[in-house]
Amino acid sequence: MENEKNLIEIRNLKKYFNTPRGQLHAVDNVTMDIEKGKTIGVVGESGCGKSTLGKTLMRLHSATSGSVMYKDVDIAAMPLKEFKKNYRADIQMIFQDPYASLDPRMSVLQLVEEPISVNDPKLSKADVEKKAKEMMELVGLAKRLEGSYPHELDGGRRQRIGIARALSLDPQFIVCDEPVSALDVSIQAQILNLLQDLQKERGLTYMFITHDMSVVKHISDDIAVMYLGQLIEKCPADEIFENTIHPYSQALLSAIPIPDLHIKRERMIMKGELTSPINPKPCCRFAARCPFATDKCHSEEPTLREMKPNHQVACHYAEKFMK
Amino acid sequence: MSEKLLDVKNLVVHYETDEEVVEAVNGVSFSLNKGEIMGLVGETGAGKTTTALAIMGLLPDRVANVIEGSIEWEGEDMLKMSKAQMRQVRGKKISMIFQDPMTALNPTIPVGEQIAEVVMLHEKCSRVEAMKRAQDMLAMVGIVPERYKEYPHQFSGGMKQRIVIAIALACEPDLLIADEPTTALDVTIQAQILDMMRNLQKQQGTSIILITHDLGVVAEMCDHCAVMYAGEIVEHGTVEDIFDNPKHPYTKALYESIPSLDKKVDRLHVIQGMVSDPTCLPTYCSFADRCEECTEACKQGDPTTVHLEGEHTVKCFKYCGKE
Repeated sequence: MENEKNLIEIRNLKKYFNTPRGQLHAVDNVTMDIEKGKTIGVVGESGCGKSTLGKTLMRLHSATSGSVMYKDVDIAAMPLKEFKKNYRADIQMIFQDPYASLDPRMSVLQLVEEPISVNDPKLSKADVEKKAKEMMELVGLAKRLEGSYPHELDGGRRQRIGIARALSLDPQFIVCDEPVSALDVSIQAQILNLLQDLQKERGLTYMFITHDMSVVKHISDDIAVMYLGQLIEKCPADEIFENTIHPYSQALLSAIPIPDLHIKRERMIMKGELTSPINPKPCCRFAARCPFATDKCHSEEPTLREMKPNHQVACHYAEKFMK
Repeated sequence: MSEKLLDVKNLVVHYETDEEVVEAVNGVSFSLNKGEIMGLVGETGAGKTTTALAIMGLLPDRVANVIEGSIEWEGEDMLKMSKAQMRQVRGKKISMIFQDPMTALNPTIPVGEQIAEVVMLHEKCSRVEAMKRAQDMLAMVGIVPERYKEYPHQFSGGMKQRIVIAIALACEPDLLIADEPTTALDVTIQAQILDMMRNLQKQQGTSIILITHDLGVVAEMCDHCAVMYAGEIVEHGTVEDIFDNPKHPYTKALYESIPSLDKKVDRLHVIQGMVSDPTCLPTYCSFADRCEECTEACKQGDPTTVHLEGEHTVKCFKYCGKE
């Protein structure tokens, strides 16, 4: 590892999908450090590659090229079998839709037991059950729910099952893919608090993927903004609302409605929609929608540059937008 | 004095199945003037959509029962209208935008035809005139009229939602009911859609009922706001009343449970317990079991709606006798 503080170092990670119309660049040259015990928030519009990035780290997709260093080994390059044997338990995922990610025919206890017995077949039935019950208690699922089925529970409880399943293998790193976007605000608050408590107790590292900027600011230490498969800005969470540099990040932030009548912000309405990620031209991906775009933006791809300590931006004119 | 368009009085709607009775809406009253935008907020199951469907006369026939109350449209009770009369109102005077634009459009009919269909039905005009009108509508929502003959799958989510809005507005309705119109969309697209709705309201004087769970959207769009809980309006007032001077404990708790963009909070406030089961609502205040300010009186009976200053009303014992 280049830096002791980092749990994961992503270098030039690419994930391309082949489609009939050409190569779809879902994740394109992402380089990012994830610090141990911290939460990195990943934001962007739908289709910007944030979920694909999470799934590639999990090896649910295999990377096209690039490396993901974890404990001094490249987990993106090793054979899948080896990854599953040695590292799958360390890196877990919480999925967006607790309605779709649970088997409707399994009871709550069975659902929590499943990953435990699958990952350690030698464990006795009694031990599996004991561990599963511990996990249920940890995430706040009452004992009486052990025999219930997912359809009998509300979204918040279902998401707790998802969290219990992910935690049951004592992971180091959890990819949370929109874990609260299907939930009501009052339930959302419960789940966010639970995730924060678990992080403190167990020293977990999270990658928190979401499109909700207020949630991401609340839970993250660092925020990464993605646009069409590329990382365009990464900075500490406090910084993003004060000193955003990239025009896309600014536009994204200005689009969020704020539940306060006295804060009026000037809105940057972006023209048009996301351009196609299939065989993109070598230029700034945001140029087509950017109000400040010049000829250079349309012909040359900007690289990620460190503008301030801990604050990286991929824009040719980052200096101009710095406050 | 502005003209009263819609007047809902003491509306009670139950869904009845063989096993149980779901008390979805329990005594909702509100009125709407011409050109006003009213927000209807609340969590899943609060009865927002049922209220909207009752106004549209689209409640499912066999299971839903309007137990009592009236819905007056320009002085005439719509609940007493025949189906044929309602068809005249629906689409022409009152239109609704449904939550999910992906399922609201017919996948086998070109989008332009779907707009023209509504126009022909209500305006008794020729096919050519209807087509012309449909093309104008497409242009108004920012889609080039040349795409008239394209099918829904050829459009993105934001564009489909704009087409749904074009259909709803094709006959220049007096009232538009928008049920979570932007929930499925990205914030940047949401900003475009909200801007468009606001412009339409200004140009055509359309009244809007905006159903949402996003308080930010309400703050940005609405004049009035009603907060629903367990089928009742627990607080109603101008947005200034609701945002700057919330009275009901539920409204206050809602604010505290959303992560803020400008304040740093370590832990989010959590509303204890669950939403009451609509099949067996308590005979006392339905929020009492989760309320932090609950007193003895709250568990004795149901509070009445108390009128505070101006149009601000609240349904809570704390304010009873303080009118």
